[in-house]
Amino acid sequence: MKIIPCLRILTLTVLCACAVPLRAADQELNLFAWSEYVPQGVLEAFEEETGITVNYETFASGEEMLAKLIAGGTAYDLIQPPDYIAEALIKNRLLLPVDFAQVPNFRHILAEYKGMPHDPEQKFTVPYMTGTVGIVVNTERIKTPIRGVKDLFSPQHKGRIVVVDDGRELVTAALYVLGHPLNNITPETLEQTRPLLAEWFNLIKLFDSDSPKTALLNGDVDLGYVWGGEAAALWNEDRKFQYVLPAEGAHLFVDVLAIPVGAKNLQAAHAFLDFVLRPEVSRQISDEFPYTNPNGEARKLLTDAQRANPASYPPARPLDTFRHLGDTGALIDELVTDLKNAR
Amino acid sequence: MQALPTAASARAHARPPKVVGWLLLAPLLVWLAAFVVLPLLVLLVYSFCQRDDLGRVVFSFTWENYERVFSPLYLRILGRSIGYAGLTTIICLVIGFPVAWFIARQTPARRNRLLLLVMIPFWTNFLIRTYAWIVILKGEGLLNALLQYGRIIAEPIELLYTPFAVLTGLVYAYLPFMILPIYVSAEKVDGSLVEAAHDLGAGPLRAFSSVIIPLTQPGILAGVLLVFVPAIGMFAITDLMGGAQVPLIGNVIQNQFLRARNWPFGAALGVVFTLLFVVTYALAQRRRRRHA
Amino acid sequence: MSTPSTSRSLLPSGLKLLQWGLGTWTALVFAFLYLPIGVLIFYSFNTSRLNIRWEGFTFHWYERLASNEPILRALQNSLIIATVTTLASVVLGTAGAWILYRYRFRFTGAIQTLVCLPMVMPEIVMGISLLVLFTVLTLPLGFTTVIIAHITFCFPFVLVAVQARLQGIDPALEEAALDLGATPFQAFWLVIVPALKPAILSGALMAFTLSLDELIVTFFTANAATRTLPLQVFGLAKTGLNPMLNALSAVFIVSTIAFVLFSEHLRRLARPSGAPHS
Repeated sequence: MKIIPCLRILTLTVLCACAVPLRAADQELNLFAWSEYVPQGVLEAFEEETGITVNYETFASGEEMLAKLIAGGTAYDLIQPPDYIAEALIKNRLLLPVDFAQVPNFRHILAEYKGMPHDPEQKFTVPYMTGTVGIVVNTERIKTPIRGVKDLFSPQHKGRIVVVDDGRELVTAALYVLGHPLNNITPETLEQTRPLLAEWFNLIKLFDSDSPKTALLNGDVDLGYVWGGEAAALWNEDRKFQYVLPAEGAHLFVDVLAIPVGAKNLQAAHAFLDFVLRPEVSRQISDEFPYTNPNGEARKLLTDAQRANPASYPPARPLDTFRHLGDTGALIDELVTDLKNAR
Repeated sequence: MQALPTAASARAHARPPKVVGWLLLAPLLVWLAAFVVLPLLVLLVYSFCQRDDLGRVVFSFTWENYERVFSPLYLRILGRSIGYAGLTTIICLVIGFPVAWFIARQTPARRNRLLLLVMIPFWTNFLIRTYAWIVILKGEGLLNALLQYGRIIAEPIELLYTPFAVLTGLVYAYLPFMILPIYVSAEKVDGSLVEAAHDLGAGPLRAFSSVIIPLTQPGILAGVLLVFVPAIGMFAITDLMGGAQVPLIGNVIQNQFLRARNWPFGAALGVVFTLLFVVTYALAQRRRRRHA
Repeated sequence: MSTPSTSRSLLPSGLKLLQWGLGTWTALVFAFLYLPIGVLIFYSFNTSRLNIRWEGFTFHWYERLASNEPILRALQNSLIIATVTTLASVVLGTAGAWILYRYRFRFTGAIQTLVCLPMVMPEIVMGISLLVLFTVLTLPLGFTTVIIAHITFCFPFVLVAVQARLQGIDPALEEAALDLGATPFQAFWLVIVPALKPAILSGALMAFTLSLDELIVTFFTANAATRTLPLQVFGLAKTGLNPMLNALSAVFIVSTIAFVLFSEHLRRLARPSGAPHS
C-alpha cells in the first residue's frame, strides 16, 4: 500500500489550497451570483484594476440563492437576485441601500429600468441583465402561425412542446389567457387556471428549466415556452428558431445586483457595481450572454447582429415584471404537483 | 472449506463491549450524533413550525404540515417513487449479479482491474453523462438509427422522455452499487464449493439456488440496500431523461426548499420519509434476527 | 484467503458453458456502461458550441480546456475533496463495521439504523440542515465543511460493504491471532483487514464516486474557493454545455483507464512472472 506518500502529497495540496485565500490581497469581495453570468474576463479586469480579490460563488437559480442566503454561513458583499426576490428581501429588510454617489456609471441605465416596481424608490438595486419569457417556434416544422399562448397550446401540437419547469411562469401564461393581470395570483385565480393548465399539461412533452434548447435542437419538440436567453442561443445556432412574445401578454425579468445586510466590504461592493456598469464592460457581458442589456451606452457598442437577435431585443412594448407575492409560492407548487401527478 | 456463514455464529462470537468497546465506538457515535442526529432534530423542530413569506421558519407550533403530508396527493407520489426504486433494484440485481460473480472468479489482479472499470464511467460528470444518453435515445438518435438500420423498426420510436428512458437512466446510475457489494460476498465463496455441488449431481439452477445464493446473501442484501434506498429519493435522472412529467418524492421535497419556499413542509416530508425508512429497516432487521 | 476456481481445464463441461455465458454477459454489461462514455468522448471533437448536433471535427475544445483556469481549479477541488472523503470514510466505515460486528452493544440495531440514515435523507434536507448547523457552530464554509458533509453521506456505503464481507468471516481467525499473542489491534490490522480488502476497495470506490459527483449538499456547504466540478458544470447548463466539458471528461477517463492498465503492466515488469501477488 502506498498510502503514506499519497497522504503526504494530499496534505500538501490541501494546505496549498487553504493557503490561497490567506495570501490574497487584504481587500476581498464576496460575490454570490448566477453561474456563467459574470464573465471570467470581467472579474480578472476588475481584480487587476482595483487589487480587490473577487470570491465568485455561484448558484443556478434565484430560489437556490435565497435558501443559502437565509440559512446563513458566508457574509456576502454582493448578491444577484431576480427582481421579485430582491423585492422580498427589501420588504424583509435584508438589503442595504446602495450609495449611488459611489456608482456614477448608473447614469447609463435606461430610464425604463430605473425605479421599477420591485424597487420603486431606486434605493437598493442595480439592474444587471434583463430578459423575457416567450415562445420559440421551429419554423421548418410548424407552418401554422403562432402568435400567442393559445396558438401554442393547441391540440394539433400535442407532444411537440417543451416548457420551462417553473410553476409561476406557467400559471402566469394561463392568467394572461384568462385576462387576469400577471400578478393577480390568489387562491381564487389559481383555481380558475386549473382546468386550462390541466389541458395544457396533456399537450406538453417535457418540462425543462435548465436547458430547454436541448430538446428543440434535437428535434424532439418543435415549440417551446422558454426564457429569452435560451431562445437567443437557439436563434444564434439556427435562424429557423423564431421567437414570439405572446400576444396575450408577456413580462420582463430583471436580474439585479444588491448588497445584503451583513456585507463586510461596502467599498468593494460599490466599486464592483460601478465597474460592471461601464459601457465597455457591460458590452463584454452581452458578448458572452445574449440577454437584454439595460445599459443604454453599452447597447450602442453592440454589433448590428447582436441587436438584431429578436430574442435578446424583441420589438419594444410595455412589459410588466413579477412582483413578490408573499407565500403564494406554496399554492402554485401544490397546484403544479397535483396537475403533473394526475397525468 | 469454509463454514457456512450464519448470523447465529456471528452473533455468538460477538462479545459484551465493556469500556473498551464503547470507547472504540465513540468516534462513530460522535460523528453520527453531530452530523446526522443533530440536523435531524433541527428538521424535526422545523416540521412543526410555520413560515414567513421568504420560507424562513417561524417558531409557532402547528400540525398542519403533517396533515398535508398524509394527503392522497403526496402518498401517491411516494408510492410511485418506491415503485421506480423497486423496479430499478430488481433490474440491477438481475443484470449485476452475473457480472459480480464473473469478476469474483478472476485472478486477483484482474479482479481489481475489472472492479475499477465498473466504476470509472461514473467519474465523468453526471450531467455530461446524461446528455450522452439523450444523444443515444433521442428521436434521431443512435439507438433509433441502429434499430432502423437493423430493420427492426420502420419509423423512429419514442424512447426519450418515456418511463423506459427513466428506467434506463436509473439502472445505469445504480448498477455499480449493486455489482460491488455482491462482488464483496462472491469473492469469498470458494469456487470448489460450486464444483462440489455440481459433482454431487446438482444442475446449474440447483447449484445456484442452494449454494450460490445463500453464500452471497449478505452481498445481495447490501446491494439492495445501497440501490433501493438512494433510488427512492432520486429525481435528477427522471427530470432530465423523463422530461419531469411526473413528480417524485425527491422533487417534491426539493421544491419545498427551492421553489415553494415552504421549509416546514419540506421538513415534515423529510421527517416522514426518514421515519418510514427507520420503521421498515428495524422490522426487517428483527425478522432476520428471529430467523437466525 | 479464497482462491479462484483452479485448474480450469478440469472443469466439467456444464460449468464451462456457464463460465462462457457469464463472460459474454459481463462483456455486454460493460458495453452498456461504456456506451455513453464513448458518445461523450466522440462529441468532445464536435465543432458545434452547443454540444447537441454533430457538425465537424476539431481539437479546439481541448485547447480551450487547457487554458480554462476555473474548470481545472474546480476539478482539482473535486479530486482533493473526494480523496480526503474516501480515506476518512474507509477508516470510519471499516472500523465502525468491525466494532459493531465484534461487540454485542445494547443498541446495535439502533446504531445500525442511524448509520443508514444519511443514505435516506434527501440531499437538500441534508445540505440545508448541515448549513444551519455550521452557521450555529460558526464554522466558516470551506474544505472542512464540504468534507465533513461528504464523509457523512459516503461512509455508510463503506460500512455496509464491509459488513457484507464480515458476515461469515471465520470467528476463529481473530481468536487464533489473539492466542498467538497478538494485541487486539494487531489481530485487526494483520488478520481482519486483509480479509476485508475486497470490501474496503469496493467501499472506497463507491465513496470516491459519490463524493466526486455530488451537487446539492456541496452547494450548501461550499464557499467560493471550494467550488467543485459538478457545481461548475451545472452552472454551465444554462448557457449550453459545450464540448469542453466532454473533453474534460474524456481526458480524465482515458488517463484513469490508462493508469489502471499501465500500473498493472509496470508491476508485472518489476516482478518476474510467477511471483506471488500481495
